[in-house]
Amino acid sequence: MTHPTRSRPALQHLARTVILYGLLVAFSALFLVPVLWMISASLQDQQGVFASPYAWIPASPRWDNYATVTTIFPFWRYLANTLLITLSVTAATLLSCSLVAYGFARLRFPGRDVLFALCLSTMMLPGQVTMIPLYVMFARLGWVDTFLPLIVPALFGTPFYIFLLRQFFLTIPQEYDEAALLDGASHLRIYWSIVMPLARPALATVALFTFVGAWNDFFGPLVYINSPQNATLTLGLNMLKAQITGTGLVEWQVLMAGALLVMLPNVAVFLLSQKHFVKGLAVGGLRG
Amino acid sequence: MITLLSSRHRRTLGGYAFIAPWLLGFLLLTLGPMLASVALSFSSWTMLSPPSWVGLVNFERIIADDPLFLRSLWNTAYYVVLAVPLTVGLGLVLALLLNQPLKGMTAFRTIFFLPSVTNMVAVSVLWLWVFNPEFGLLNRALALVGVEGPLWLQSEAWAKPSLVLMSLWGVGGTMMVFLAALQGIPTELYEAADLDGAGSYRKFLHVTLPMISPALFFSVVIGIIGSFQVFTQAFVMTGTAQPGSEGGPNNATLFYVLYLYKKAFQEFKMGYASALAWILFFVVLAFTMIQTRLARRWVHYEGGDR
Amino acid sequence: MSMRSPVGLASLLVCLHLQACTSGEPEAPAAVAIVYNCAANADEIRALEAEIPEFAARTGIRIILNPFTGQEKLYAMIAAGQAPDIFYTNTVIRDRFAAEGRLLDLREVARGDSFPERLLPGILQEGTSPDGGWYSLSNWSFTCGVYFDRKAFAEAGLRVPDSSWRWEDLRHMARSLTVDPDADGTPERYGIYIPAHFVEALELMNGAEIDRGALCARISDASAEVYQKYLALMDEKFMPDLRRMQALGMQPMQMLQTGRVAMLVEAVPHQGLFESVDVDLGIAPLPRFDGHTPRYFRSGSGGLSISSATKHPREAWQALKWIVGGASIYQPNPVLTDQDFVEGWEARYPRLLGSGFRSVWELSLRHPGGDPRFFVRFSSWTAPAILERLQPRLDQLWSRQISVAALRKALPEINQNVGRALRDALAQETLRPAFRAMIEQRLEEAEGGACD
Repeated sequence: MTHPTRSRPALQHLARTVILYGLLVAFSALFLVPVLWMISASLQDQQGVFASPYAWIPASPRWDNYATVTTIFPFWRYLANTLLITLSVTAATLLSCSLVAYGFARLRFPGRDVLFALCLSTMMLPGQVTMIPLYVMFARLGWVDTFLPLIVPALFGTPFYIFLLRQFFLTIPQEYDEAALLDGASHLRIYWSIVMPLARPALATVALFTFVGAWNDFFGPLVYINSPQNATLTLGLNMLKAQITGTGLVEWQVLMAGALLVMLPNVAVFLLSQKHFVKGLAVGGLRG
Repeated sequence: MITLLSSRHRRTLGGYAFIAPWLLGFLLLTLGPMLASVALSFSSWTMLSPPSWVGLVNFERIIADDPLFLRSLWNTAYYVVLAVPLTVGLGLVLALLLNQPLKGMTAFRTIFFLPSVTNMVAVSVLWLWVFNPEFGLLNRALALVGVEGPLWLQSEAWAKPSLVLMSLWGVGGTMMVFLAALQGIPTELYEAADLDGAGSYRKFLHVTLPMISPALFFSVVIGIIGSFQVFTQAFVMTGTAQPGSEGGPNNATLFYVLYLYKKAFQEFKMGYASALAWILFFVVLAFTMIQTRLARRWVHYEGGDR
Repeated sequence: MSMRSPVGLASLLVCLHLQACTSGEPEAPAAVAIVYNCAANADEIRALEAEIPEFAARTGIRIILNPFTGQEKLYAMIAAGQAPDIFYTNTVIRDRFAAEGRLLDLREVARGDSFPERLLPGILQEGTSPDGGWYSLSNWSFTCGVYFDRKAFAEAGLRVPDSSWRWEDLRHMARSLTVDPDADGTPERYGIYIPAHFVEALELMNGAEIDRGALCARISDASAEVYQKYLALMDEKFMPDLRRMQALGMQPMQMLQTGRVAMLVEAVPHQGLFESVDVDLGIAPLPRFDGHTPRYFRSGSGGLSISSATKHPREAWQALKWIVGGASIYQPNPVLTDQDFVEGWEARYPRLLGSGFRSVWELSLRHPGGDPRFFVRFSSWTAPAILERLQPRLDQLWSRQISVAALRKALPEINQNVGRALRDALAQETLRPAFRAMIEQRLEEAEGGACD
């Protein structure tokens, strides 16, 4: 006797799959459309952006909008500034956070747990509370309009990454440490030669998140950087937007080209490092 | 010299040496400024002249005499209450959709996640154009079905919902957290539920939800803390040609941190802005504590309760 | 401070490694460097850059351009001790900075110099603060007028406007020029568009008295009348909805270009308009209001100031004179009497011949009403306190959420922080005596009920 129930689940399964794909495609379309819109706008000319009916693909695409943007928006300069700041911050963060996390994870000393709890609780502090005195301090030091206020704090660690790395270090078996200690190695050596190499995945995640965070930072540059030559990509884009929508002819197509240029490095970094992103969010979310 | 110290002292010294960067940073960049900020909130200071002590005047003015304070608080609360549930909800839905062993999931995941790692200023500029009442994507699309779209960012009623809609585009991060959580649910639980004869709805309610409750809690808390500090979008999108006009039509998008920024860096009322910052701190603290209290009820941790 | 050592050493190392300590200034030979905060306008910057080397070769003064997009950064730079040498100030901040001693009194560096004699008398007056000091020099001056599409007028069979036309004529023309071919209730072309910031120019024409440096916000009957008439234009659909126009992300002149409006009130002269709008343009002065002598808008309030912290005051003054009177991008400069402004512009843009440009310009010289703009009409110290409460109300007025009467009723509430703002200003210890006396006097007026 055949099992009549067997054909039903198969049909149900097919229906489910179709619906699933349908939903995914629909959502994807919704998510992609703004990007396509942006690309389309960046290739229009002055009349085209305001045209009705709108031509998604213009008859003669204005690739020169991208060239135009770079004359009023020093893309390469901003890219260099942003790269400098971001790489410095990433390196500083990796170094400081791993050192501190090692201390909290591997070493026992009085007050350790209290200090760690303190460290975690500062995660909850809105940055605005310390923003003004920090600004004043940096102004007194003469660091306003330089990159220093953006880079130097990274040398002192970030609670969130300290937490992440500490959790990870806790999962590394202590046998290696104990063997090295017996051999007379200092903690610094253990940190550098044993724990750090094993922590590469977590370090990669921290590096990635720090990189993206510093790259996209707007508030920091907004507050500390005054001259256009020292601006980062985010700040520069805001200046471009103010310039384009504020004075003279409003050229949306040029602004869209600028926005696209600023988005590209982010996309490139993400595509090159997808794996670590996913893993990192998993660690953060489950333990959070 | 180090060897003269007992091993216990050595360990203490070593421990503190390792955490020195954070400790130093805490004192210099957190505690110090926090104390200074407390002092500032009781002073009046424009940076061009020396500060002067005014006692509780700043707080009095904020609470009793500042309609923009109340407006910005209202705007921020409105945004939080609207954005967080929608973002968490959409993130969960997308994660559920992606959590299937089907082909092409990576591609879809990339599409959903990419917008959330792009630059907020670039995103704001893009959506500024999308929301344009006459030439933007949204209203052109609505016109196709014969609906006349509102003024979006320039409309007092629609300005905040516009920003919420835009924030949904960045739901990728939340989605990923849920995806990771979903993928961590052991399949035995589902098989056990199947044996008990549970349908997919009940399975969702009694297996999935409890198992991802830590991720839910995390997303909600991070979402609330983050949404309270909404700034960049409002600054970029509702600042018109004259700087100083950020805040939108009738201050509809004057969020708390934006208001703080204006007071501090446009009007240079450093004392007043510090007072505002402390009020924000206590509001966020209260919210987080409420959330943590409530969490004990519904967040389920693997391996027994707390 | 004790924190200087470890942090300072670290920063030094970082600096050397990253060369992050420089702010992008190239090495200078013997020339004196003067930093000029210019507008972030690409054309302007390019034109200045082209002429700066020649000026440097001639005078030994090298002007470094620092384009800026907002006033707030200027304040931040001054507070951080990095003030540029020459920067733009408007009336709101000029008096404040002058009161704190941050601006150089130009009378010191201009002593014995004949340059001030070349300036329009009103310009010197505008740059003078209550203590009698000369703290800013306007680099431009403009009026406003009604640009109109001649072809549209011809098609509608209308006579083109001239200086004798009245508001009723404007309404009549706007009605005829508004066309709605598909009769869907939304005109394809509106008769006129008047941006909200030019309403005050109309108030002047209607005889409103607008005080420079007024203590508080007032809406006289003349002003209220103008608001009603302005709103009526929108109600009758001769003018597009203001909020919608502001949201369009289009410059008003682009509306004229695309045929969306047939008349437009805009600044005269307007370089962008002259260059890129290829409609057959005419320019008319603002219409008169019955029973009132016309007083035409005249503005010169965006001025250049020299920082008192400048290391080279004489060279800064030389640079300032060159910017105002020498840099070709700003010539012919309407603040100077020894140039035929209209002729220079007609030479540059031949389309202006016979357009009405000359007449509009000369009328504004002959019957100047003053500069009525909001940030000019309130005193430096009360403007923020007033505008913070006034601007949202105006937004509501223009979007028809409140009536003119309701706005007038709300004035006491709008003005309520005037006294407090003055008291806060007095709390600054480093206020110069002349300004302190003035603020104290105004405080007395306010407390005596001047704003109720």
